[in-house]
Amino acid sequence: MGPAGDVVAVIVTPVQSLLVRIHRGALAIWTTYVDWKSVRSENVLLRAESERLKLQALQVEETRQENARLRRLLALRERLPLSTLVGEVVGREAGGWVRMLTVNRGRASGIPRQAPVIVPEGLVGRVVQVRSGASVIQLLSDPASTVGATVQRTRTPGLVDGDAGGMVRLKFMARDGARVAPGDLVVTSGLGNLFPKGLPIGRVVRIEDKGSALFHFAVLVPAVDFDRVEEVLLVTGQTTQDVAGLFNPDG
Amino acid sequence: MTFGSGLAQWSVVPSLSVAGVTPDLPLILTVLLALRRGPETGCVVGFVAGLLQDTAGGGLLGIQALTKALAGFGMGLLVGRLWVASPLIQVPGLVLLTVAEGLVRYCLLQLFHFPASLGELIVRVILPQALYNGFLGAACVLVTAVAPAWRKRVWS
Repeated sequence: MGPAGDVVAVIVTPVQSLLVRIHRGALAIWTTYVDWKSVRSENVLLRAESERLKLQALQVEETRQENARLRRLLALRERLPLSTLVGEVVGREAGGWVRMLTVNRGRASGIPRQAPVIVPEGLVGRVVQVRSGASVIQLLSDPASTVGATVQRTRTPGLVDGDAGGMVRLKFMARDGARVAPGDLVVTSGLGNLFPKGLPIGRVVRIEDKGSALFHFAVLVPAVDFDRVEEVLLVTGQTTQDVAGLFNPDG
Repeated sequence: MTFGSGLAQWSVVPSLSVAGVTPDLPLILTVLLALRRGPETGCVVGFVAGLLQDTAGGGLLGIQALTKALAGFGMGLLVGRLWVASPLIQVPGLVLLTVAEGLVRYCLLQLFHFPASLGELIVRVILPQALYNGFLGAACVLVTAVAPAWRKRVWS
């Protein structure tokens, strides 16, 4: 190329360079826009994925906890010298007038009325109504509930009653020689052949001495947290054996 | 609606328990409906809601059906005689009605040798539930007062 070519190059090169810069700039803006757009849709997808995974994690945790509860129930079922059926809690009534649970086992499963209801921590209550596909369980804390009981350490007999406030009390303990102290475990007495002997009911929190009264009573903290019971064992058989050693009343 | 409140009372309400006290949704519904529709509706709604509660709760059948029917009828009768349209009347009215319903229920249960003492029931069950009902009732009244304006704003 001669001098003419040089002159053309001097004129064209800056223009060419400018065009290339403009092209690169436009390309960069377009790429950024495309990236931004895909990041945005990706963000929406990732958020949805994150929500799905959170839900899945909750379901896994729920299943894990249910599995642990059922394993403990199954272990108790295998230890007990009694025939039992597993029931799932499908309803609660805890207003104070009555304290009941409804489970999904009824007449069709052969549940008898007055059947004791237990969990690995101890006694929940008894079946008071049997329907075709469900049974109503009266909790120990129901105001109308009464269970024959014994203080495990001292063998002091009494009656465990519920009250309107949801407390459980051991009543009609003899004033003299009872020697009951806070922390003592109260279990079913087994008298009357309704409840097997030795089912944990609760621990003594305090003794209420009514002065000149013939009897005094103890306030108990129930072995079972009734608000958290989700699966139960309905006892359909009987035994004369003391079953206290098969339970874990402290959870 | 009545069936829904009965179902909620049996399934969801136990989880709303505060220190062992739960609200009585069917009673709140009965009172609010009786105030708007009169004694007949209040009586029927109360009877059905109470019967559902009796059936589901495992207590004596018919007790709550009777007390809630009376509550619905009584509240419905007040419409037109007293100025019950004001929330300042409705909410304390709900509290008082819960207490009255509890007392009638206790008297009826005494015929069947209900073992709990009246004093204990009043202190531990009836009064706390009346206050809880009043609180929830106030929330319901507020929602029903705000809802039409909100709906109007959304649609316009």
